[in-house]
Amino acid sequence: MNDETKKQINERYERELGKGERFWPDTLFKDLIMSLGIFVLLILIATFVGIPAEAKADPSDTSYLPRPEWYFLFLFKFLALYGQLPLIGKIEWLATVVIPTIALGALTLVPFIEKSPHRHYSKRMLPISIMIIMVTGIVLMTITSEVPTVSEDGSEVLGILQTIAGIFIPVVAYILFFVFKNNTRLMLWTTSLAAVSMILLSGTVLALAPEKHGEEVEVATTLVDQIVAGQDLYSIHCTECHGDDGSTGIIAGVEGLEGEKITPINSRDVLYTITDASMYEVIAYGRPNSGMPPYGKTYGGELSKSEIDYIVILMRYSWDDRFEAPVIPELFPPLADGEVPSYDVHIEPIVKRYCISCHRPGKDNNNYLMTTYEEILTTGDHAEFNIIAGDENSYFLQTIQGTPILDENGQEIIGIMPPGKLLKPNVVDVFLRWIMNGMPKTAAEAGVLFQTPTPAP
Amino acid sequence: MWKTVYAWLDERIGFDSLYTNLLDRPEPKTTWWNTLGSASMFLFILQGLTGIFLTVYYTPSPDHAYDSITYIMEGVAFGWLIRGIHHWGATLMVLVVFIHMLRVFFTASFKFPRELTWLIGIGLFLATLGMGFTGYLLPWNQKAYWATTVGTQIAGTVPFLGEFILKALRGGPELSALTLQRFFAAHIWIIPAVLAALMGLHLYLVIKHGESHFPTKED
Repeated sequence: MNDETKKQINERYERELGKGERFWPDTLFKDLIMSLGIFVLLILIATFVGIPAEAKADPSDTSYLPRPEWYFLFLFKFLALYGQLPLIGKIEWLATVVIPTIALGALTLVPFIEKSPHRHYSKRMLPISIMIIMVTGIVLMTITSEVPTVSEDGSEVLGILQTIAGIFIPVVAYILFFVFKNNTRLMLWTTSLAAVSMILLSGTVLALAPEKHGEEVEVATTLVDQIVAGQDLYSIHCTECHGDDGSTGIIAGVEGLEGEKITPINSRDVLYTITDASMYEVIAYGRPNSGMPPYGKTYGGELSKSEIDYIVILMRYSWDDRFEAPVIPELFPPLADGEVPSYDVHIEPIVKRYCISCHRPGKDNNNYLMTTYEEILTTGDHAEFNIIAGDENSYFLQTIQGTPILDENGQEIIGIMPPGKLLKPNVVDVFLRWIMNGMPKTAAEAGVLFQTPTPAP
Repeated sequence: MWKTVYAWLDERIGFDSLYTNLLDRPEPKTTWWNTLGSASMFLFILQGLTGIFLTVYYTPSPDHAYDSITYIMEGVAFGWLIRGIHHWGATLMVLVVFIHMLRVFFTASFKFPRELTWLIGIGLFLATLGMGFTGYLLPWNQKAYWATTVGTQIAGTVPFLGEFILKALRGGPELSALTLQRFFAAHIWIIPAVLAALMGLHLYLVIKHGESHFPTKED
C-alpha cells in the first residue's frame, strides 16, 4: 500500500469523524446499555434455566457418549463427516490438524491476504462469500451435531446428506467463487444457492433424524435427594446381606454366603472409625475374603461413583448419631379411608425399596421379576395364582401376610415375603387394597375406584 | 474537603488530559454492532469477578472438585447465581467474541491502519476458546471429563508432536489429578493474564485509531 492510498484513507476517516459523534457520551452510552442488557440476560438465564445437574466424573463408565463443548461441536461433526470420505477420510491428521490450521492461519492473516484498500461489500465479494459459506457450514454442523451419520438400521443416507451439505457443497462453492470472482452478480447467486441448499439439506437431515431417546440421568443434588437415592440403591444392592437397617451379623438366606459372620455396619464402632473415603472404597472394591463383591463399575460392579457416594451419605445420616438427618419425605403418600393405591404412586416406590433387591434378573426368585408393572402381574413360576384381582388368597397377599405357600405334601414352595422380616402393616395394607381393587396402574385409574366410606351410623 | 482532595489528585493524575484523551474523543457514527467489543470486555470482567468468588470454595482435586461445586450450588448463599452467571457467561462470551470478529470482517475494519488490532483480536479469540476449554473440565463431572478426553485426543492426532502435546495437556497418558491441576492453573492464571495483556494492547490500538466507520459505496 503506497503513501497516497494511506493519505486518502486517513482523509476519508477525518471526514467521517467530522460528521460523527463524541465517544463520551454517545458511543459509551450504547456500550453501557449493551453490557447492562447482557448482565440482565445472564441473571435471568442463571435464575430460570440454571445449570443442568451432571453425575460425577467416572472414568470407568465407557458407555457415556462423550461430547465436546458446544462451540467445538462443529469441529467434531466435521471430523465425523470427513471420516466418511473415501481415501483421504483415513488420514485423520489432515482433518484434525492441517485443515483447521489452514483455516485459522487464513483467518489470522486476512489483513495481509486481502490487500485491496476497498471496504464496501460490493468490492470484496470473494472474501465475503467465502466467509458466509464458512459460517453457514459451522452453524449448520453445530445444529446437526447430534444426528448420527449411520442410522440404527445401518443406512448411511443421513451421513451422505450431511457430507454433501457440510463438505461437498462448500468445496464446490469455493471453486466457483474463484472462477466468478469478478462478476458480482454470479457471486451473489452462487453464494445464495450454496447457502440455501446447505440449509435445506440440513433441515432434511434434522427431519429424518431418529428421535432422540431421552436418556436422562437422575442426579441427586440436594441432601434429601441424595439420601433417598442412597436408600433406593441400598435396598437393591445391600439389604439382602446387611439387612434393612445394616444390623445383620450373620447372613441368612443368601446363596453361597449362608451363615457367614459379618460386622453389623450400623454400629458406632464402624461409623466412628471408618471415614467416608474408606467406606466408599469398601463398597467399590468389596471385601474379597469375607464374601462382599466389588460394587464399583471399575471393578466389575454395577454402581457409578455418584451412586456409591449416595449410599455412604445414607449410612451416615441414618445410623451415625453425629449426623442429623433432614426430614425425608415419605416413601408413598398415606392412604385415606376407601382410597385405592395405584402402581405409579404407591406400589412402584414400595417395590423398589423392599422387593427388587431379589426380584430382578439374575437372582434366585422363582423367575418372579418386579421391575415393571407388567412383570409384577405376569411373571413368575406361579404367575396364575400369584396376583388375582379381588382374591384374598392370591399367593402374593398370603406370603406378605406371613403365610407360606405349601404344596399337597406340605412342602413349602414359597416362603413368607420378604424373607426374614415382614413389611410394616401400612405397607401390607397398600398391597391388599391394590390387589383387591384390580391393580390400577395410574393415579387416574385408581381415583375412579375411590369409595367414600359410609359414615358410621 | 472534597475540593482539596480533588485538587491534590488532579495535580498528580491530571483528570483533564485523561478526559480529553479517553472520553472526549471524536468517533464516526457508530451502530449497535460497534458495542460487541466492549460487551466482550464486560463479559471478561464479569467472568473474572464471578470466577474469583468461585475459587473461594472450589477445590481443584478429583476427590473434591465435584463436591465443592455441589456445595457452591446448594450451600453457599447465592452460589447458584454466581456459578450460573459464570457458566452462561462463558457461553455468551464465546458467542459475542465470535460475532464481534464477524462484524469486523464483514465491514473490513481490519484494513489499514487496524491490521495489528485484528491480529491481537485473533489472539483474544483463541484465548477465549482456551478459557472455555480449560474451564469446562473444572466441575469434574461426566460431561466435563469426557469432553476433555475427546478434546485432548484430537490434539493428540498431530503428526510427530501429537503424543507430546497430549501428554503435556493431560500431564500424563491419561486424564488425572494432574490434568485438573494444570487446567485450573491455566484457567485462573495463565490464560487470563495473557488475555488481559492482549486486551490492553487491543484497547490501546482501538483508542489510538478510533473505531472504524461503517463502509459506504465510497470505500
